[in-house]
Amino acid sequence: MFLHRLTKHVALGAALFAAPFAGASTAQAQLKVVTSTTDLYDIAKAVGGDKITATHIGEGYQDPHFIEAKPSFVLQLRNADVWAFVGLDLEIGWMPLLLQGARNPKLQAGQPGYVDASRVISVLDVARANVDRSQGDVHPLGNPHYWLDPENGRRIAKLFQETFAKLDPKNASVYDANAKAFTQRLDAAERTWQADLAKIKGQPVVAWHTSWRYFAEYTGMNIVGFMEPKPGVPPSPAHLASLIQTMKQAGAKVIVMEPFYDKKTADFVASKTGARVLVLSPSVGGTKGLSDYIQLMTSGIQQLAAAL
Amino acid sequence: MSRTPAHDARASGIPMMLWGAFLTLAIASWPAMAQRDTTRRDTTTKRARADSARIADSIAVVRELERIRTEPRAHDPARQQPSQGAPSNPRMLPDISAVGDLIGDLSPKGSTQEGGERFSVREVEVALQAAVDPYFRGDVFFGVSDLEKISIEQAYLTATLLPWGLEVRLGRYLMPVGKQNTTHRHDLHTIDYPYVLQRFFGDEGLKGTGIYASKIFAPFGFYQEIIVTAVDRFGEPTPGLVTIEPVNKQLSGLGYSARLRNYWDLSQASNIELSFSGITGKREQPVLGGDPTLGTPARQSVVGTDFTYRWRPLQQGLYKSFILQTEFLQQLNEKDPTLELPSGVPPDGLLYGGPTRNFTGGYAFARYQLTRRGYVGGRFDSFQDEGAGGSATNAVSAYMEFFPSEFSKLMVGYERYSPAEGSATNRILLQATFALGPHKPHPF
Repeated sequence: MFLHRLTKHVALGAALFAAPFAGASTAQAQLKVVTSTTDLYDIAKAVGGDKITATHIGEGYQDPHFIEAKPSFVLQLRNADVWAFVGLDLEIGWMPLLLQGARNPKLQAGQPGYVDASRVISVLDVARANVDRSQGDVHPLGNPHYWLDPENGRRIAKLFQETFAKLDPKNASVYDANAKAFTQRLDAAERTWQADLAKIKGQPVVAWHTSWRYFAEYTGMNIVGFMEPKPGVPPSPAHLASLIQTMKQAGAKVIVMEPFYDKKTADFVASKTGARVLVLSPSVGGTKGLSDYIQLMTSGIQQLAAAL
Repeated sequence: MSRTPAHDARASGIPMMLWGAFLTLAIASWPAMAQRDTTRRDTTTKRARADSARIADSIAVVRELERIRTEPRAHDPARQQPSQGAPSNPRMLPDISAVGDLIGDLSPKGSTQEGGERFSVREVEVALQAAVDPYFRGDVFFGVSDLEKISIEQAYLTATLLPWGLEVRLGRYLMPVGKQNTTHRHDLHTIDYPYVLQRFFGDEGLKGTGIYASKIFAPFGFYQEIIVTAVDRFGEPTPGLVTIEPVNKQLSGLGYSARLRNYWDLSQASNIELSFSGITGKREQPVLGGDPTLGTPARQSVVGTDFTYRWRPLQQGLYKSFILQTEFLQQLNEKDPTLELPSGVPPDGLLYGGPTRNFTGGYAFARYQLTRRGYVGGRFDSFQDEGAGGSATNAVSAYMEFFPSEFSKLMVGYERYSPAEGSATNRILLQATFALGPHKPHPF
């Protein structure tokens, strides 16, 4: 009788102890992917299809440097299989807090689920000498806004295909087929951009931040100045005065900016130079209708060509 | 001193807690021990396997190089190779950073700073942070100030590979009691901690040395976190007081705290946090009528709740934000503690000189972002002042913050301090802080 009661108590105690942890042990059919940006999210969805579930931390209309490390994001990460991020310190202001908070061994540096997409990218603007913060909010490892070049979109898709196949080998052929289909769609879209690219090539423009460097490399637009005097530093009156002169001399007719910066300042410069302010989304979902990566690139190229 | 059954139960439960925490750490380091064991058993088979792996790796490298060579190249020769080719920290140095916290006090009736300075380096904090090995992370913060020598502000080891969403720390850390106490003083949006925290925990906040364990969970669909700690003692020793035995001689005299965090997203732009916390432990209290250095241990507890509302629209997040925060704390003191005196000291004429009633206090703080770099804020403080028999002391303050960049902050503050006894005083304070070293995460 005593033994029976003891067994009951032990079983009850074990059940109570295990209850909070039960959720963690349920088998998951799909890979859970969390990405830092909507662009990585969209490419991950294109490659993973219905074999993954994906969420993203940042929104397309939000400055990815300044995302808040909200505890609700920790919940997204704690059960994830993959954490994919842009890298090159783009997420340094919030990612460490989320990863430490998530306490998910699968997302530790060095694990297959820790996917730094920048490692497959040929990076621009890598510091060639010592840099310090007198030069603004510089990224010594290089410019992190690389997804705005379709070649890098292809590389990211290949990275996701390899990562998903490694973590979920039974669906490797699906990931391979999806990645190829994504690349084919991108190739097809790229062929339709040629006339617009010809219009853009060599045209002088001003950009707000260095986030358009890869886009410029791809399209051939010539960035003759930045609204920011140094990366991350808001425009000062003296800098704007100098920029207005530069724009007049170079004949820059367009100021390209992201939706999350203060348009009034750009409008002021435009009013002094006769230029047009073009608010371009740097990421998927940045403006209405931009629901995927190929649309993002297509829209950016078309709008810029139309503005020049 | 008589021991109650509840006391005994507590005393027997506490060692179990401590053993539990050590067991958790042991589980965390088990993979490391297992790895050491297996590496000792090096055999010819293993060496052969390693050779084949190396050959396979070499073939993979050659294939990768061929793939890169045949891939379409980027248009610009100035582009660098993918970043895995160049580790950013090949010598694996820890992140080294420093924060300077400079204070000016232009109050019309003299400085209100602890040492009476008009201008001072309140603190320079130097931090070393890095992964220790695959199982632990180490964080060390030294503090240096005009008034004190170098002190260990925080130094803790965090187990990073624990199962079930657990986190365990060993070392010295900011105690997770209340909301603002978990924030470094230089990261506050005001110049000092709220008065209730200063009175209950000390000017520099409450730290503790011991074991920290936390678990996150979401059974109801929102973020919850429970944090428990067992620390060497509750607060710093009271200067100049000596007790017959250290307050932590019995395990029941250590400091124990618990905090439950609840967090909800109201929308993409706004969220709230409602949390509850408490700490208990024994502290030295004065004994009146004899040797002024004579102290006796007495239990003190602090319980509280805090609420934070945040608003930051995502698209305009660089330029607009708002925080409303409030916190209430109650200090619970033993009503009639037994004097624990050294043998030979007659109890006649000696009286317990510590607090025997409870004290309550709180604050409400708000901050609004005006521009990309400019903020305005204000705080209202109220607390029952032990030195004035529990009458209320109030303070109202207003602040303007300017952030030239993420790495520097300039602040000017005005405060009207109305003590329970005596006349009100005005304070005018200036603060400049700067951060050197790697980009740190923005506190949330």
